[in-house]
Order: sequence, then structure tokens, then C-alpha cells
Amino acid sequence: MRIKKEKISTEYKMKYSIWYHVLPFLSIGLLIAVWYLGSSSNPMIFPTPNTVLRRMIELSQNKLSGYTLIGHMGVSLLRVAVSLGLAIIIGVPLGVLIGWSRGVRATIGAVFECIRPIPMLAWIPLMVMWFGIGEKSKIIMIFMAALMPIVVNSYTGIKMISPLYLDVGKMFNASTEWQLLRSIVLPAALPTIFAGIRNATSMALMVVLAAEMIAARAGLGFLINRGMEVFDVSLVMSGMVAIGVTGALVAVLTNFIERKLCPWNRSI
Amino acid sequence: MEQKYLTRLKISNISKSFPNKEGKRELAVDNISLDVYDGEFLVLLGPGRCGKSVLLNMIAGLMKPDEGKVVLDGEEITKPNPQMGMVFQKTGLLPWLTVMDNITFGPRQRGESKKIYTERAQKYIDMVGLTGFEKSYPYQLSGGMKQRVGIARAYTNEPKILIMDEPFGALDAQTRYSMEQEVQNIVEKDRRTIIFVTNNIEEALMLGDRIILFTNYPARIKKIYDVNISKPRDTMDRTFLMLRKEISENTDLAL
Repeated sequence: MRIKKEKISTEYKMKYSIWYHVLPFLSIGLLIAVWYLGSSSNPMIFPTPNTVLRRMIELSQNKLSGYTLIGHMGVSLLRVAVSLGLAIIIGVPLGVLIGWSRGVRATIGAVFECIRPIPMLAWIPLMVMWFGIGEKSKIIMIFMAALMPIVVNSYTGIKMISPLYLDVGKMFNASTEWQLLRSIVLPAALPTIFAGIRNATSMALMVVLAAEMIAARAGLGFLINRGMEVFDVSLVMSGMVAIGVTGALVAVLTNFIERKLCPWNRSI
Repeated sequence: MEQKYLTRLKISNISKSFPNKEGKRELAVDNISLDVYDGEFLVLLGPGRCGKSVLLNMIAGLMKPDEGKVVLDGEEITKPNPQMGMVFQKTGLLPWLTVMDNITFGPRQRGESKKIYTERAQKYIDMVGLTGFEKSYPYQLSGGMKQRVGIARAYTNEPKILIMDEPFGALDAQTRYSMEQEVQNIVEKDRRTIIFVTNNIEEALMLGDRIILFTNYPARIKKIYDVNISKPRDTMDRTFLMLRKEISENTDLAL
């Protein structure tokens, strides 16, 4: 007996998807309209979208403190990328170990639980005092912020695995701990681990701004801070828009990677 | 009559208890002894949640009995034993693997050569009627198709004994009926020793060479039926209906 592949009704999909593709543009349009209305009262304090856009174009052509707007974006992104990369390399194995081994959970896991409730921003003064205000301290700050969600999610992902999958592994020749870990536990936890990486990315974007606002000569946080110091509202808002765009791009990128890595996960 | 059969699996006096809400130990499986013969289709029939699954987990080595032992071909089972092919009640397909990768999981872990296991897997994929779905993921399949994958996976691992734990319990009546016939076809083409667990009397009678009827919790053997009706069986056959009535009257109510 053979079963025929079912075709999803494309007609049905089309009918609803067009409407849902238009809606986001409408709501974003509304946001810009409200911005216009609000900004007309005092352009010095609340510049119009036009002014901010023109400022961004100007910033992209002329360097400010050695970089164009794109350059500043690049500097911030590089800091995020390096720290995030380190956090993934260290955080995923750490979280997996905490979730997999009772011994590690009882020791390192306990320490982690103690540190976890301290908000990341509270670490910044300590980092500045210990590591100064150079590149190193920024990387460490962002790394710390990204590490927490990655470790926590990796750990939870491992803990949440259905015992059924482990039974399946054992009944189908995954006889060593390593085989179980590699072929059952890690793939089963991958979507949760990835959710942690996504959280870590937004944490990293937040902390890179904070770190750059404290002391930096480049980066989007620096731009925003410089704007504040000289009361240049359109510069501040240019930085804000740029960080929003950066965040959105990074989100698109992580979603893309996740879909490539976990093609079976429909929730993406 | 039983003398001419070779005993593959010997279950001797196994018991298992679990702590209940008050913290006292409560028996789930009470002193069961059972021989499984080579090539037979053995059905374990009992009311829902009567302890059949506990018994099965002990046979598979996923659970340790408090007392007694399980011996397969002269070797005592003390840990999960891949020589038993398990078809899980909840299918247990690994969602991150395609149909083909799910089915070849066992041989891959064992380090078999890809050419050999792929060929074997394809044979069983064709046999369970999943040709063309090799690259699909489990979420793309219906409940009945998922359990077909489960069956193909168990066969491809070349087990000495196949254990099917209420494999069709989650399916609707119609699909269930067609899956029962499917299993019968497969058994005809590829004879193996099978232990099949169910709470459905008709299903037991359709498939089983021998039916072990269990009491309600804790599981004890109540009666053993030899089903001497030639296959494929007709549900309206006189002997079939009489046996069905007899078993039905003998079955404890699951409350």
C-alpha cells in the first residue's frame, strides 16, 4: 500500500497571507505618522523623520570621530560578534554539562544560580574598575551578558528532553553516554539552545550600547552619547534608528541560521 | 504441543513495585513467569494501565525488576537491550531526523556500513508503504504514517525479538484497523518473534498466535489462550466471535 503525498491548499494560503503581509506596513506607517505629528511642535527637541533620515545620510557620507554611520555600526557589530562568539563557545558546553551531569550541576550550576539574578548592567562599574574602559572591558561586559541566557537555556534544553527519546536511543544502540549525548540529547535540545542564543544576541546589543555610552570613541553607543553631550537630538535619534536596524538585521540572520540548523522545528 | 517450540525469551518470576502517594510500595507486576517461543506472535492483553508497560520495560531492559529475571537466548537482560526491537506507544520518532535517518538510527549507532543498512532500510520502507517519504520529517506525517516509521525502524535494527507497546493505541479506529492488516502482511513476509501489547480484544484476536490475558493492576497472568484460527482472520468467524466473547467476559474492568 502506498500513500500519496498531500498537497497543501495553496489557494487557502494565498487568501490569508496577502492580508498578513500588508498589515505590518500599515502599522509601521502609523508609527511614522504619529512621529510626524509629535515632532511638528518643536523640531529642536523632536525632529521629524525627514530630518533624522537626512542626518543619517549625511552621517553615512561624512566621518564623525573617524567613522561613518556604517562604520560605527560595524564597530558595534564586531564587538557583539566577538563577545557572542566567545559566549557560545564557552556557554553551550557549560550549560550542556550542567544539564547532563549531576556533579557539575551541584557545583558550577549552584554558583551560576547565585550570580544569575544580578542584572548585567550592575556588572558594568566593576568591569570598568577592573578592566578599564578599553576594548577588553567592553568585550568582557558583552560576553558576560550573552553568557547567562546561553548557559541557562542550554541547561534547560537538556533538562526538558523527553525521557522517551533517551529510551529510544538506548533501545537503538546508543550505548555509551557520549553516543546518547551526541545523537539524542544535543539535537533534542538544539531549538532551546538556539532560543538562548537569540536572547543572548539582544542582551549583547543592549550591553554594547551601555558599554559604548560609558566610554568609547566609536560605535553606535558612542554616537548616541555624543549626541546627548552636545544636545544634538537628531544625532541621538539617528543612533537609535541605526541600532534598531542593526538589531533587526541580526534577528533575520539568526533566524536564517536557525532554520538551516533546525529544519524540523516549525516554531521558527 | 509447546514442546516442539524453541524458547527464545524466558521470563521467570518477575515482580516490580513502585511507591504510591502515601509512600508505601505498591505492586505493578506480580510474580509473572512466561516463555516466548521462536517465531510466535504473542499478545499481552490487559485492561488499560494494568502494568503491561512496566512488564514490557523490564523485558526490554529499560527497567530493572525487583525480583526475578528475564533471559534472552540464554543471556540475562540487565540493561537496555537493542536486540529487542521496540515499537513505542508514542512512536518516539526523533523529530530532528528524516524518515530515512530515523529508520537507520540503530545501525548507524552500531557503526554498520551505510550501503548495507540503507538497502535494508529501503526494503522495510517499501514494506510499510512509505516509499517516497524518505526525506520527510516526522511532523510532516500523519499518526498512522509515524507508526509505520516506528515499525520500519524496529525491523531495520534486526532485532531478535520485536516488542510493540500498544502501537496503535493513539490511532483512530479506521487507521488502526488498516494498520493491523499491515502488520499482518509484514509478519507474513518477514517472520519474527513478536510481543505485542494491547488493551483491545479484537486486535489481540486478529494478530495473536497466543494471547496472555492479564488481571487489572497489579498485572498477573489470568489466562493464556491459544488462537488456532488460520490467518488472515475473519472478525465474523464463529470461533473468533466465541473466543472474543470468552475473553471479554474474563477481562477485568479498568476503572
